[in-house]
Amino acid sequence: MPQIIEVCPLTELPPGAVRLVEWEDLEIGVFNCGGTVYAIEDRCTHDDGTLADGELDQEACTIECPRHGSLFDLKTGKPKTLPAYVPVDTFPVIIDEETIKLEVE
Amino acid sequence: MATPETVTPDPDVLTENEQLGKINSDYTERYGFHDAENYLYKAPKGLTRQTVEMISDFKSEPEWMREFRLKALDHFLARKQPTWGSPMLAEVDYDNIRYFVRASETPSRSWDDVPEDVKRTFDRLGIPEAERKFLSGVGAQYESEVVYHQVHKDLEAQGVIFTDMDTALREHEDLVRKYFATIIPPNDNKLAALNSAVWSGGSFVYVPEGVHVEMPLQAYFRINTENMGQFERTLIIAEPGSYVHYVEGCTAPTYSSDSLHSAVVELIAQPGARIRYTTVQNWSMNVFNLVTKRAVAYEDATVEWVDCNLGSKLTMKYPSIYLLGERAHGEVLSIAFAGAGQHQDAGAKIIHAAPNTTSNIFAKSISKDGGRGSYRGLLEVAKGAHGSKSKVVCDALLLDEHSRSDTYPTIRIGENDVDVGHEATVSKVGEDQLFYLRSHGIPEEEASKLIVNGFIEPITKELPMEYAVEMNRLIELQMEGSIG
Repeated sequence: MPQIIEVCPLTELPPGAVRLVEWEDLEIGVFNCGGTVYAIEDRCTHDDGTLADGELDQEACTIECPRHGSLFDLKTGKPKTLPAYVPVDTFPVIIDEETIKLEVE
Repeated sequence: MATPETVTPDPDVLTENEQLGKINSDYTERYGFHDAENYLYKAPKGLTRQTVEMISDFKSEPEWMREFRLKALDHFLARKQPTWGSPMLAEVDYDNIRYFVRASETPSRSWDDVPEDVKRTFDRLGIPEAERKFLSGVGAQYESEVVYHQVHKDLEAQGVIFTDMDTALREHEDLVRKYFATIIPPNDNKLAALNSAVWSGGSFVYVPEGVHVEMPLQAYFRINTENMGQFERTLIIAEPGSYVHYVEGCTAPTYSSDSLHSAVVELIAQPGARIRYTTVQNWSMNVFNLVTKRAVAYEDATVEWVDCNLGSKLTMKYPSIYLLGERAHGEVLSIAFAGAGQHQDAGAKIIHAAPNTTSNIFAKSISKDGGRGSYRGLLEVAKGAHGSKSKVVCDALLLDEHSRSDTYPTIRIGENDVDVGHEATVSKVGEDQLFYLRSHGIPEEEASKLIVNGFIEPITKELPMEYAVEMNRLIELQMEGSIG
């Protein structure tokens, strides 16, 4: 069953900002990309490293894995460059009364 | 059983030591010579932000490439030198390398316009002659940049682009920007970061949909000066249903201090395309050869790496293929020859990321006179890549007690319905094999060469004829005097 979890008020995650949330055994990166918020699992599919520490490109809407440089599309979770080739999981984002919430399962 | 014939020593035959001496003199004469340095620019030793900016300024690059280089420099500086692979890696002295040397103003399309010294070098290496006889196009890089580039007119008319990477950035910026560093990002590893920061020269190949380039395209890389760093960057894009065979060779003068060659090569085989990439690496014994090569093959595409490593002090190179589309096929044929003072750490990586993909890795190494040959490989079958098949065979031949062979295979299988085989052998040139051949009147040294040639034949038969002949000649030369 999907669950809704609360992240933070939208004002606390301005464009370009990143926040990590934990849910059960998952770590989820929440990114504000030019005013739109996206959420992906914070685990590079190449070697399991964290993505949230990487460089966020708001224009391209990508996050760069800080370990080996794979670029992940925040909208789809798909890698745009190697060495990763498996997409990361994405999570639907809900903005509810100026609060960021995620749908997780 | 036949009685072995007694082989009477021929007074004209050189002693073993004399023959060993002949090996070095041959390299110097054929490849190890160097020219006078009439350079337009020779950077001081060492790597700084200013060096990177200077390279970008020299090439009048767009701002995005300048930023790419500087970001890559940060990655390079932030990363520690790897500690795996070979203890020799600790000897690489990045402060004692020249990162950019310019020999000629622009790449020329006529050998007559190439500076005289440089032209003489390539004449001596037989490049213009080979171009006339059996190639579709040639690129010749001398130090940091390509000095000559030519491609057959009929290929140009079909839309084939074969040019040096610097020219490609100027004339085909959109194509370069779309694909550059998508296969090997700048912070993939420390050496890829270094190349990304200071890259210069290399080849850009674009083959339009359905076009078959019948004769190979060739690039020849030459280092001339001491403590040189050569960092070419090659990108090959084969559009759907196209075919291209790219061949590269390299040599350098022999010096007492080290040079560094660190290339990045990216191949993209679109659906149904086929790329074959052949390397005959024959750097001198003072060159560290630390290269990153990676390919992607989409649906029904084929990528083949034929990788021959004869020279260099240390080579670390593992050409890889990501099979991203259904029924894609990857093949790596690798041969390494490690003589005295050499470590050839070669191998292959193949990732089956789509269903019904197939691959073969055939790796062979020969070690003699204390040389070390290593096979380091990865075979990965991702979850969902059902019906995939792969075969890995790595064989090592040791010619004496002092030499060494190691095998480091990694296999990761994430799917049940696959067919994966791995075989590895290490053998010595056996007394029984030698005895058998000698019993047929074949002198011992000749017998040993036959055994080695038989060992490498599965690889050399895949080389273009001219290279197979050259490869056999080099192996024979290095084999001389190996049986004491």
